Amino acid sequence: MANTLRLYLTCIRNTLEAAMCLQNFPCQEVERHNKPEVELKTSPELLLNPVLICRNEAEKCLIETSINSIRISMKVKQADELENILAKKFLRFLSMRAEAFQVLRRKPVQGYDISFLITNYHCEDMHKHKLIDFIVQFMEDIDKEISELKLSVNTRGRLVATEFLKQFI
Amino acid sequence: MACFKRASPALVAILNKLDSAEKPTDTDHNLYEFGSVRYHVQASASDPEIIYLSISTPPLSPEVLLRNGLPDCTLQDIRRGYCDIADIVEPPKEGFVLTLRLDFAKLPHSREDRIKAISKISSLQAVILSSQLKDMLWNLGSQDMAYGMCKPIKLVYHPREPFFVIRMPEKLKAIFPMRFKDNSDVILATSLFQELMDMGHSAAFTKAPRCTWSPIPPPELRGEPFEYLTTNGGFVSFDILSHHVKGAKVDRTVWILLNFYAHVKYYVKCTRGFIQIKMRQRLESLVEVMQNARIRGGGDDKKLQNPGCKRVKKWMSFSKSKILKRRCSAIANQIKRMRARIRIKGLDRFRRKWFRVPKFPSLKKYTKLE
Repeated sequence: MANTLRLYLTCIRNTLEAAMCLQNFPCQEVERHNKPEVELKTSPELLLNPVLICRNEAEKCLIETSINSIRISMKVKQADELENILAKKFLRFLSMRAEAFQVLRRKPVQGYDISFLITNYHCEDMHKHKLIDFIVQFMEDIDKEISELKLSVNTRGRLVATEFLKQFI
Repeated sequence: MACFKRASPALVAILNKLDSAEKPTDTDHNLYEFGSVRYHVQASASDPEIIYLSISTPPLSPEVLLRNGLPDCTLQDIRRGYCDIADIVEPPKEGFVLTLRLDFAKLPHSREDRIKAISKISSLQAVILSSQLKDMLWNLGSQDMAYGMCKPIKLVYHPREPFFVIRMPEKLKAIFPMRFKDNSDVILATSLFQELMDMGHSAAFTKAPRCTWSPIPPPELRGEPFEYLTTNGGFVSFDILSHHVKGAKVDRTVWILLNFYAHVKYYVKCTRGFIQIKMRQRLESLVEVMQNARIRGGGDDKKLQNPGCKRVKKWMSFSKSKILKRRCSAIANQIKRMRARIRIKGLDRFRRKWFRVPKFPSLKKYTKLE
């Protein structure tokens, strides 16, 4: 793993470990309702300061924390047009299967490519450290997958071009 | 057009069926291919060896070709190609450009050779198109020649995908305006064009036609209608030199040029499928990590990993011990049923009716005061 990526991911991991201390908190506006405060943002006293971790202009991660939920939004590197469509395709593919992840938001926060919403219920159901592992691995895998796909598409293109031109010889 | 093979698959199937039919029957097939090519196959039970095959195909370039029927060069090519098994019927059937009288008695006797011959007959449309293009390329009039270059000829192999051929002093240039419906297709195709350009310039492919791709129309198309010059995928051009169209190579070159669009579209489609497969694999690995994070195991959520074929999965998930247990319990139930008291159907009702215990009014019953 590149050194800068390791630092970036370590920073995200540490921030998540610090931020993920969620507890059950009923909604203050509606009785008998329990809503993620980070989404509603109705009570400022229940929200913590958002943390923005940037690797560069194109890659950043926004961690918004509240008393009962945490929202993690990511922007994935898209160096060229091919990476751009591959990232879009892949993230759309994952968002459409959000129910398989439970913590994945179907729609990303504006300005970001993909968002997660972790509530106190998720923390009760799952190991906290493993949840953080998942988020970090997800970020790693997305980068890896897009790079691999780009390589594969170019390799396929080269092979097809070779076969096409071979027909003339 | 998504068919790279010269032979039409539907026509091959029909002719093979007629060839292998044990009992001769009257046959009259009309079939359309790619919306614009029409075939008519006719055979009679009285003379099953003779089959009439008619074809109607739009001209490759309406500007150059004759309005009625096929040009002489094409007819000559067909005569040359099919002289041993078919004759051209003059005039062709109404609504068709060509009618062939096939004599299946003249087909070779071995099964493999017969199949080869039938596939050759079925590639009639490819022969017509190739012949038209060949004729156009070599017999271009010099009246349009200006500054050592001919006027571009628009060829319409598929109604929505015309391409241009330009004759220059030392070469022919085929220019393909590339249009795609989806933006992602444009990018995938562009990567192929870049590779085509790079490979074309490499030492291994010096004999192959030089390929160039540009997002803007090449200068050779100057003066063409605006609608042909607006594309989202740019313009791909091939420089065809004399050695690419020498002797037997001409047929292959012409067929490759005619099918270039199909090649590109097929590549894009396959690449999309490939990306989808890769994404699915990665999804599975990510979901596995998520399942491992659960405190009470991930047993109940395993169905989320692969939602397809639930019934098959359920069936496959039965272990041998489970199946054995089920069988044992079924046998035990049967034995229980056998050893149980004999039940007579309707006895309960009979008992209720005839041996009813009289009901006495309860002493605690409430009585209404008047």
